[in-house]
Amino acid sequence: MSRFELSGAAVDTTGQRDRLRHPASGGYCAFEGWVRNSNEGREVDGLSYEAYAELAIAEGERIVAEAIERYGVTDARCVHRTGDLKIGDMAVWVGASAPHRDEAFRACRYIIDEIKHRLPIWKKEHYVTGESDWVACTHVYREHEHEDHHAHHHHAHAQPFVPDYSRQTRLRDVGEAGQAKLAASRVLVIGAGGLGCPVISYLAGAGIGTLGIVDGDRLDASNLHRQTMYNASDIGQYKAELASRRVAALNPTVKVRIWKEPLTAANAVEVFGQFDLVVECTDDMRSRYLSSDAAVVSATPLILASIYQYEGQLQFVAAQPGMPCMRCLWPQEPAPEAVGSCTLSGVLGPVPGVLGAMQATEALKYLLGLPQPNAGALSLVNLIDLSIQHLPIDAANGCVAHGGCVAVARRALARAVDEEAIDLAFDRLDDAVAAGFRLVDVRNAEEWASDPMPVVAALQVPSGQVMERAGEFADGRFLLVCASGRRSGHAARLLRDEGMQNVYSLAGGLNALRVAG
Amino acid sequence: MTVVNLQYYAQLREQAGTSSEQFTTGASSLRDLYEELRVARGFSLSADALKVAVNAQFSAWDRPLRDGDTIVFIPPVAGG
Repeated sequence: MSRFELSGAAVDTTGQRDRLRHPASGGYCAFEGWVRNSNEGREVDGLSYEAYAELAIAEGERIVAEAIERYGVTDARCVHRTGDLKIGDMAVWVGASAPHRDEAFRACRYIIDEIKHRLPIWKKEHYVTGESDWVACTHVYREHEHEDHHAHHHHAHAQPFVPDYSRQTRLRDVGEAGQAKLAASRVLVIGAGGLGCPVISYLAGAGIGTLGIVDGDRLDASNLHRQTMYNASDIGQYKAELASRRVAALNPTVKVRIWKEPLTAANAVEVFGQFDLVVECTDDMRSRYLSSDAAVVSATPLILASIYQYEGQLQFVAAQPGMPCMRCLWPQEPAPEAVGSCTLSGVLGPVPGVLGAMQATEALKYLLGLPQPNAGALSLVNLIDLSIQHLPIDAANGCVAHGGCVAVARRALARAVDEEAIDLAFDRLDDAVAAGFRLVDVRNAEEWASDPMPVVAALQVPSGQVMERAGEFADGRFLLVCASGRRSGHAARLLRDEGMQNVYSLAGGLNALRVAG
Repeated sequence: MTVVNLQYYAQLREQAGTSSEQFTTGASSLRDLYEELRVARGFSLSADALKVAVNAQFSAWDRPLRDGDTIVFIPPVAGG
């Protein structure tokens, strides 16, 4: 049933409202947009709407479906007018019914905001002077919208924001020359989570010229205790987009580029080459190795950090000959079961905050040319006893034995490009089954019980046991599944190394299926 | 017997239930010491997954033990 309509005639609000009546709904909320008599100071006596109907209807349906899914409302509908309208006519109608009022208000608000941004509808304004003008749809509703946005919009035009860096330029080692260095710098931040929030915030505040932000995840409620840039109302949205909005709000002079998918072995070197410094802030060991390899090959310095419960590790990879990379210390990627994660092990919120603030400090020190006496060390930060221990990494004991960091990194990247064909994306597990895959649940027994898969798996093999039970994967094509895609990806690569080319991993794991709905 | 000071990080700290301890051992090398601790403290990670440092320097696993050494076992961590 269609929930979005384009209508050449006046909206039948009673009919629309009645279609939202449902025994499960405890209330209903509607928004009406009306034609106003002025826009940007010009008197308007009417307007015409033109829509790219096919696209507008498809996009409108999608927006209403998103609102229903996102806020869990019982039902929602929207009608947008086309054709000629007079002052006071209704241009758009939105309604949502839900068990509780809050979801209804929020769904309604979501629909009108998204319609404003995404619908291919144009407005021709007829001015009282007899002139007329076409105005893009995004403009139309900005003028209709809530007043604070309107006021802010004009205020920003009247007085462009001028950042005040006096508190840092006062430092003798920074000064105006240092500030100019920061303004000319391009920094890529990979991961906009617990570590990334302080890194992005401090670098934006400091006036870095260009910030790149990479994060393929959407905000989850469980992130909020440590990811301080985000609001409860942001749940479900891409962190890269939220972070870019946060930077724009904090320091509009910073240029932001975002990637809403993780970098790959195929593109990481090229992307790194567009930046002066990379800060690795993911919770993913595979991403860390990819970053170390890409940093070494592109000669882009890298600041690594990772955390576990109440402690963290920090390493600066200079990406210069004779300086150690991450593989000099940890040559091979460890099994995901060995490294722990925030999900399984837990983490106190400020711990990534401290390590992220340290990464931001290292980044500024590097860009300003300040001394980094412990740059070649692994720094162990223990927030239980507040100790920091620096262990110098001897590059002579590292990749040198295997041809040097660059040769090791090139080989690792080439292997990773081959392995990327292992990760397959599906919106629904049924689709994978229909495509001929046998599903293997590689989570642990506790997860099988607490969070059953939406489709029954052909096999249940905990990721740590796939090698000893490799014989069970002999016939057919297998799709390994875990919560995030990490354990399944690692297990699939181990099996591939044993020559089993019929094994794949569900990209993003069960979490990705939930988002896709 | 050798008396050494041990420091644990991450999963090892969690499994040992302490950040540090003094330990008396008959082991002759770091590797033997760690194998002894795996049993005594219930560590799940193998030595191959870890780094070890002695007196604030990374060390090879075959290094002999001396009285008073401060030994740190470091697992890789991935949280963010």
